[in-house]
Amino acid sequence: MSSEAIKIQRRTDTEFVDAKLLTGMSPSNLLLVEAEWHPLRSVILQELLAASVLQERWPQSLHWNWSRKAPELRLLAASGFGIVYDQKWQGVMLTKTEPCKARLGTDKGKPLVYVDFLETAPWNWTIPEIGRQSLYRLIGSTLLWRAVKQSDDEGFQGRIGLHALPQSEGFYTGDPFGMTPIGRDPDKQNLLYLELTKEQARQILDTGDAP
Amino acid sequence: MTRANSTNGPREEWLKRAAAAEEACKSFSVGGFAADLGLLPSASTGIKSAFSRLVEYARRKQGLSVERLAEQADVDLESIVEIETEASVIPDARTIYQLAKTLKLTPSTLMEVAGLTTPRPQIRDAALRFAARSESTASLTREEQEALEEFVRVLVEKSDGV
Repeated sequence: MSSEAIKIQRRTDTEFVDAKLLTGMSPSNLLLVEAEWHPLRSVILQELLAASVLQERWPQSLHWNWSRKAPELRLLAASGFGIVYDQKWQGVMLTKTEPCKARLGTDKGKPLVYVDFLETAPWNWTIPEIGRQSLYRLIGSTLLWRAVKQSDDEGFQGRIGLHALPQSEGFYTGDPFGMTPIGRDPDKQNLLYLELTKEQARQILDTGDAP
Repeated sequence: MTRANSTNGPREEWLKRAAAAEEACKSFSVGGFAADLGLLPSASTGIKSAFSRLVEYARRKQGLSVERLAEQADVDLESIVEIETEASVIPDARTIYQLAKTLKLTPSTLMEVAGLTTPRPQIRDAALRFAARSESTASLTREEQEALEEFVRVLVEKSDGV
């Protein structure tokens, strides 16, 4: 693995703090992440039940349990990225480049980086129903920015695609990414598929790259 | 081994915009891989298996909370929530046996509904009819009650002699 220096933001005082973005993780590393995140997921589940919060309002990734999917993870050909701060995994992402082609407009049929998985640590979730606020911001944004950069590095001109969970759709269609929704995908349990075109990517990388 | 090196990250101005956007968002989860593995909760997809609905309805019919069912069946709370909320979860045989005992259902038939053993055609058809008729609400409606009773009736009939 190698690491890149990045900034994330502490929510309580909006200070930027130095964190590391690890690249070259294997998908199986998700099992280590799971071990770290699982105890808090359980606490959150208990809190949601105790507060009688409707299941429709629960975090939609609350039940992702990778420990039972170890064989699938071992077989997955994907690149892994993780953000580490305070010796904890703050968020992780898996991306694929094959066999992923753009579906949108003039980019149609061109290669892209497909974001197969992106998740933030449960202490970075905002769940107003039980009074929980994220500890750190910029985890999701930085990981996705890194996917755009990976696409650019691969010669794909920053094109990326992903399937967002319903609770996340607004984040990916809104500022600063402004991804284009393509449609619901019956092959992915009807999740919304979105793409970032090379023009949209250029805006993100042009305003995003350090001088 | 991890080696440290620097890279060009996003500019501060962009980071501030992104942080403001994140403030308004509840989740950043991307789920293509989770969808492939059937890990998405039914609340996000609208898809719920007959097994999930059966466990939920039978629990509610007995007036049990999720926590109480977990306690009585001696199954951990997360497993019950997982069963009721995930479209494709297949629990282990012990869990199904414990649930069947607590919910007064026949273990071998419940295993067929769960997909742990191959369902007989009648059970499969009844499960499909049941899943198609049921909707998730806080309390059982009359239609749900009828759907549950019809499904359980088929399960009981097909369990004779098992």
